[in-house]
Amino acid sequence: MAQAPTFAELFDPEFLAALAPFELHARRVARDGRPAEKTSRDRGFGLEFADFKSYVPGDDLRAIDWNIYRRLGRLFVRVFEEHRDLPVYLLVDRSSSMYLETPPRIGAGLRVALALAAIALGQHDSVGLYSFSGMLSIDAKAAAGKHRLVPFAERLAALDERDRTDLTGTLRELASHRLRQGLLVVISDFFDPGGAEEIARALGESRHRLLLVQLVKKADADPTLHGDLHGDVRLLDCESAEAVDLTITPATLARYRQSYQEFNEALSRFASDYGVGIVRVDADEDVLDQLGVLFETGTLTV
Amino acid sequence: MSFANLPLLGVFAGIAALAGLLFLLQLLRIRHVEVAVPTTLFWRAAAREAPVRVLSGVFRHPLAYLLVLAICALLWLAFAGPEAAEDRAATYRVLYLDGSAHSAGDDDYERAVDALQGDLAGLPEGRREVVWGGARNYKLLKAGEDRLLLDRRLETLAPEVAPSALNEQLRLLSLSGAGPDSLEFVIYGRAPADAGVVESLPPGIEVRRGIDYAEPADNRGIGALGVNTAASGSWDRVDLLIRIAGNPGVSADGALAVSVGGQSVADDRLQRLADGLVVVRDLPADGRTVEVRLEAADGLPIDDVARLTLPERNVVRIALAGDLDPAIRHAIEADPGLEVAAEDASVVVRPRGSGAFDGLPALEFAPAADQATAFEIAYTGDDSAELALRASVAALGLDQIDAAGLATEAQRPVGVQLQHAELPGISVWSELLAQYNFTGSRSFPLFVSRALRWLAGEPPWHPYLAAGRPVPSASETWSSATVNPAFDALGAEYILGAAGTINPSEGVEQAVALLSDPVTEGHTGTVLDVSEAGGGLASTGLLTWFILAALVLLGAEWFLYQRGLMP
Repeated sequence: MAQAPTFAELFDPEFLAALAPFELHARRVARDGRPAEKTSRDRGFGLEFADFKSYVPGDDLRAIDWNIYRRLGRLFVRVFEEHRDLPVYLLVDRSSSMYLETPPRIGAGLRVALALAAIALGQHDSVGLYSFSGMLSIDAKAAAGKHRLVPFAERLAALDERDRTDLTGTLRELASHRLRQGLLVVISDFFDPGGAEEIARALGESRHRLLLVQLVKKADADPTLHGDLHGDVRLLDCESAEAVDLTITPATLARYRQSYQEFNEALSRFASDYGVGIVRVDADEDVLDQLGVLFETGTLTV
Repeated sequence: MSFANLPLLGVFAGIAALAGLLFLLQLLRIRHVEVAVPTTLFWRAAAREAPVRVLSGVFRHPLAYLLVLAICALLWLAFAGPEAAEDRAATYRVLYLDGSAHSAGDDDYERAVDALQGDLAGLPEGRREVVWGGARNYKLLKAGEDRLLLDRRLETLAPEVAPSALNEQLRLLSLSGAGPDSLEFVIYGRAPADAGVVESLPPGIEVRRGIDYAEPADNRGIGALGVNTAASGSWDRVDLLIRIAGNPGVSADGALAVSVGGQSVADDRLQRLADGLVVVRDLPADGRTVEVRLEAADGLPIDDVARLTLPERNVVRIALAGDLDPAIRHAIEADPGLEVAAEDASVVVRPRGSGAFDGLPALEFAPAADQATAFEIAYTGDDSAELALRASVAALGLDQIDAAGLATEAQRPVGVQLQHAELPGISVWSELLAQYNFTGSRSFPLFVSRALRWLAGEPPWHPYLAAGRPVPSASETWSSATVNPAFDALGAEYILGAAGTINPSEGVEQAVALLSDPVTEGHTGTVLDVSEAGGGLASTGLLTWFILAALVLLGAEWFLYQRGLMP
């Protein structure tokens, strides 16, 4: 079993410095947040002018535009945009499949999680850390402040391997926590026994905006790259220990590729239908390079 | 179809064994390698559609098994050495490589070797052999020997200056009764096969040629070269006869260069007769070698030169002692090769018991009362009495004597007795000369002349010596020729080998020439079919087809495997 990166390996100053130009932007932010950098739908006492509205009793008299009153003889008040924070919930998969291969997917997953946390905390957003395997684990409640990055990285590095994947159950359990609406980032290989349809159904019930980070490896799409997959094999599922006896032939390889493609297409279709962001990160490649592609314009809008 | 390397039962047993082995292999291939994967989610559908084999289960892909079996069976059949037909299976092939002078022109020999090697590659080792046909026939490659050995053996061989011995080989075939039922005799080269010999071959033996040649090029050569006593009567000289031969349509005339012992003979001494005959008269009989060479080059240079060792005739000095019949002196004086001289005599003629010139070979005359038989001959050497008798009778001219007439007159048998002695000697009844008129017979001078030369140990000489032909026997030679007794002592023919030289037991080297009209004239013999060994349907054909078929099936298997149509 491959090892997850340690704190020293994870908390790489060069890696974090390279994230400085990146911004995370949400199209909508919940009304009941605390003041921050995200533009919310709330109109109030922010700094940026947004619109005029007719005066009604109770409005702040300081907001009345007297110039308009002199010209039109009617009372209008200036409305300003209020900036709120964006709660970012990082949901990291720590099931066995994330730790199986070399390099393990968990390494890339933790780096992605740290990167998004660093970006969000840098924007004064609050970041919470949740992990899951067969059940949900609350590793760090959502909190803001750049100083929280180090403890956050320590929490990430402390994540250890658990057993099976139950993403659908985890999502339902997370929904029961009634968290403030925010951005839910699911970092996983999505190898849930229920398949892509079950995952999509569970994700569709979420109140949060979603960003799916799918950790893949090249051998997922082309199993011939896996050195041991030839001839008569007994495939052992690393989480369920389920065995599948198989003779690897061009036909079985083709059938596998078809199943895997259908799985990915189902996830993509869900993302497209629900306006959900989906990112595929190759666990064999450098995470920073792939984030550079993701934040191509410097801002990732979700 | 039959098989060269395996019996039919063995072939089928092998296929059955292969089928069983492949069946077991199909069953044994279910040993799984355990591989841990992140998820089996995507493999389940593939496993459902193509369930894995289980031990002792039914074949999941019987057609795939049959395909592999077919490939293995084809390779096994190819290994078994398939042959096309039943008769081919029993056919034994003799590949005869003509290494005679017939194939010495142009690139005839090289073409023959190439064709033979090409055909040999396709024949089963156990039922073929290669025979070299030079001056003598011998096996160049036995049945069962690897054909690579032939390459090594051919490296030291080249066409010999000798006529073909092909017909002798064919005659041997007809004599060997315990040979194979079916035999194919393939000739590689121009050696002519005699029609009579071919027709006399028993059924089952087929003679054909392995290579087709164009008509031979124009050629002239020395057809005959021989000597005779000089017509001029000089006892120490000989006349040389030369005959120029050529293939049909080619003039037999041509410029000749004659030399004796390396010294050229002037052209004006060459007397040209009709039909390419040339005579050179009065050459000294001094034992040197005469060489005759055709000066114009042609397609077959091997027959443009011939050599012959001239006789060596020296005066034999004879000592006469005691009271002898005058007819003896007269006979000696009539032969210019004999000289009566007391000093340095080689032979003595005397009455028995005189004791004169003791220590010399002697021709003696003794009273019939003292000698049981008319002729008593003492011989030296290692030959048996029988061999010595046969040689002596010819050498002494005793076969020319009218023994019956003498016996009638003497009223007692006239016989010959031989005994071994340290010195050669001849003892004759004196009564044959004095009373029974032996001196009056024509054979008396011949007997005296030959007897004295035999006693003097004069070396034999031959009127001609030709490659591939027997040494001329006494009956075929001119009157004065003597013959090496070792050659025809048993009456058997001593067949000379290739042109060159021979060294008979007397140690006098003799030149042997080709002198073969069939070679010079390009005789082709009887017309034979031309085809490669195996009649164009040799085992190579079927072998190739089996291997090709196996390769095609292997390609098909690869194609099906790549497309996932078979495991």
